[in-house]
Amino acid sequence: MTDLLNSAEDQAFRQEIRDFVSAELHPETRAKVSRGAPMTRDDFARWQESLHAKGWVAPAWPKEHGGPGWTARERIVADEELFRLHTPPLPGFGLKMIGPILIQFGSPEQQQRFLPRILSGEDWWCQGFSEPGAGSDLASLKTKAERTEGGWLVSGSKTWTTYAQYANWIFCLVRTDPEVKKQEGISMMLIDMSLPGVSRRPIRLMDGTEEVNEIFLDQVFVPDDLVVGEINKGWTYAKALLEHERFGIGGIGRSKHLLQRVREAAQSTGRADDPEIANALDTLEIDVMAIEATTLRLLAAVEAGVKIGAETSLLKIRGTEIQQALTELMLDIAGPAALPTRDSVGVQEPFENAMYQFLNWRKLSIYGGSNEIQRSILATQVLGLK
Amino acid sequence: MIDFKPADEETLLLKETAERFVADHYELALRNVMLTASAGRRPARWAEMADLGWLAAPVGEDAGGLGLTPKQVVPFLSVLGAGLVLEPIGPVAMHCAPTLARALSSTRAEAVLASVLSGESIELIAAGPAGAPVKAGREGDDIVLTGTIPLVIGGAQASVFWIVADCEGVPFLVPVPAEKVWVEEFPLIDGQSAAKVSLQGARCSAADAVTDCEEALAYGNDLAMVGKLAELTGLIDRLYRKTLDYMKLREQFGRPLGRFQVVQHRMADMFIKREEAQSMVDMAAEAMTGEDVALRSKLVAAAQVKIYDNARAVLRDAVQLHGGMGVTDELPVGHMVKRMLMLTQLDGGRQAALGKFRKAA
Ligand SMILES: Cc1cc2nc3c(=O)[nH]c(=O)nc-3n(C[C@H](O)[C@H](O)[C@H](O)COP(=O)(O)OP(=O)(O)OC[C@H]3O[C@@H](n4cnc5c(N)ncnc54)[C@H](O)[C@@H]3O)c2cc1C
Repeated sequence: MTDLLNSAEDQAFRQEIRDFVSAELHPETRAKVSRGAPMTRDDFARWQESLHAKGWVAPAWPKEHGGPGWTARERIVADEELFRLHTPPLPGFGLKMIGPILIQFGSPEQQQRFLPRILSGEDWWCQGFSEPGAGSDLASLKTKAERTEGGWLVSGSKTWTTYAQYANWIFCLVRTDPEVKKQEGISMMLIDMSLPGVSRRPIRLMDGTEEVNEIFLDQVFVPDDLVVGEINKGWTYAKALLEHERFGIGGIGRSKHLLQRVREAAQSTGRADDPEIANALDTLEIDVMAIEATTLRLLAAVEAGVKIGAETSLLKIRGTEIQQALTELMLDIAGPAALPTRDSVGVQEPFENAMYQFLNWRKLSIYGGSNEIQRSILATQVLGLK
Repeated sequence: MIDFKPADEETLLLKETAERFVADHYELALRNVMLTASAGRRPARWAEMADLGWLAAPVGEDAGGLGLTPKQVVPFLSVLGAGLVLEPIGPVAMHCAPTLARALSSTRAEAVLASVLSGESIELIAAGPAGAPVKAGREGDDIVLTGTIPLVIGGAQASVFWIVADCEGVPFLVPVPAEKVWVEEFPLIDGQSAAKVSLQGARCSAADAVTDCEEALAYGNDLAMVGKLAELTGLIDRLYRKTLDYMKLREQFGRPLGRFQVVQHRMADMFIKREEAQSMVDMAAEAMTGEDVALRSKLVAAAQVKIYDNARAVLRDAVQLHGGMGVTDELPVGHMVKRMLMLTQLDGGRQAALGKFRKAA
């Protein structure tokens, strides 16, 4: 696959990453990632340890908080190379969400207490934003926090909470003022999941995995020092959270990795020369290129001082569409070989995960602001259609 | 001439029975219990299905069947597909029985089919990938079968496999009792039971082989396809209706999602796809009764392409519009999606169907 970032420095950086990965990545984890198998907590934890030891675990964090000090371009190269080498993509709830928020808005005490443990993986975070009644319309959330001596009592329920079963902390949006405009009465709080009043129900997804949960909060005490920033400013922080990774949401590394896997599957089953399959593969490769080129062009504009706002929604929309199209192409190549359940005697390699990935990745266009919502954002904020 | 007359009395009656059956036995929680129950046993409601005449529906009266036309069986199969039944009704009633009724001499057909249509014996047509014949050798009066058939729906419950085989370029059909082959059961993604069948040199008497069966096999494959398309059409319809209901019910930003124009347009598209699917399955079913075999195959393949495409589009949008609820295993939506994917993947997907369309003169 063609790399657009291929200067001499890029090449040298890629080589450095390759050397590191070949020394550090556990072969079993590598094999799983290369086949699209689901990751366990251990797979993630083991890899996080290696990245952390190298100082690469939080590519976007500033150096003083433990980041590697990479440029935006280096981050893209690293992401791409790490995917290509079949390393597991670490969940971003600590490293890409609450970490950067604490760096930007947290108190020095919160930073000292939490940031090192996010980097090391000692703490595992989950994101408590969505509720049964508040999905796309997140600002209508109802989980409420009531004032009490020295802090707040939080009650309500959160849902779709990814990997809450592994997490010991959850960052939540809660309503601290029901009287004002809905965006203005929301605060962000950090909640220890081992506290009394916190309970969890796993939700089974159609691919059979249990990666999301419902979280129930019943009069959970949150001391004042675990409120992020100011009371009633939670909506601002939640929006900032989405800003942090906005040039990465095209998921170029992820797309290229899947493209590589689909190509290999086509080759190993003699379908690569089938003109329809070849056309589809090449078309998708060009689609990825268009998103990569757009990402780089937007970044260059930012570096030249141009203000880029909601334009980045396009990266999320197209990136996820491409990834979903790739999972469909994998099904097309697999035919009936995608039907046996994985780990059964019926499995037909290399397609044992093809159906699961198709099913699981339907989520990409739903979460993190659905593609409908992203299109509305583009239309109103960028195109000015209001 | 393809006739698009609305369904007759008999068809509607059969359909209503199927609706009651699904309502009584296939509520989602009950179905989940069935899915986790021990594998390898007889399909739960097979005898009942036989009693209702479902196994005999499209088989000619001379062979002991009900002699219903394909068009008459489409609506009830649609209901069973949409109802996510787990018994291998399609493979038996729409594939094996009608194929045998055509391939065997009338006395043999009657004898063999008696126990199949009564539900005593589950018998299945088994061929290699994409329906290709399995390799067979001749040793004296015996036929020796080798190779592995990777996926036979209902295979673990079958007592006889009618193997589609090929000996030096001559295709034939030969019955092999399940004890003579190695059957390994596994679940498919949608929960149905399937099996890998390893023939491992199974011997059968050449006298049992049915030759001159190409026409019957081709007819049986087309009819089985109409059955699968009927299921898909039922699933498209039910998924469309479920999504429509949800768009009226689910509120975000202070109003039902169905009030947003983007959603309205997506639903209008889904409606169009449902209508097309319904027309195409009716057309394919009608084509089954025509004399012109090439036209029949062409129309069935055309329906296949269109319905596969529409099924994919509908399932994508149905999941998307359900948001998080759409990706769970807790609503019927996810289960319908898996069944649709199973049905569209089983015969090689749209590309294989297009190939069939092009090949049919
Ligand atoms: C696998 C998975 C993991 C998740 N992980 C987390 C997590 O860890 N933490 C967390 O807080 N949340 C998580 N989410 C929740 C996710 O952010 C929500 O699912 C998402 O915001 C959509 O909300 P909803 O599911 O309630 O769908 P709804 O908001 O009910 O939307 C249903 C459909 O209607 C569309 N729609 C809604 N409003 C409009 C409109 N105005 N115009 C046009 N179309 C519209 C949507 O795009 C969607 O297609 C996860 C979701 C999934 C599926």
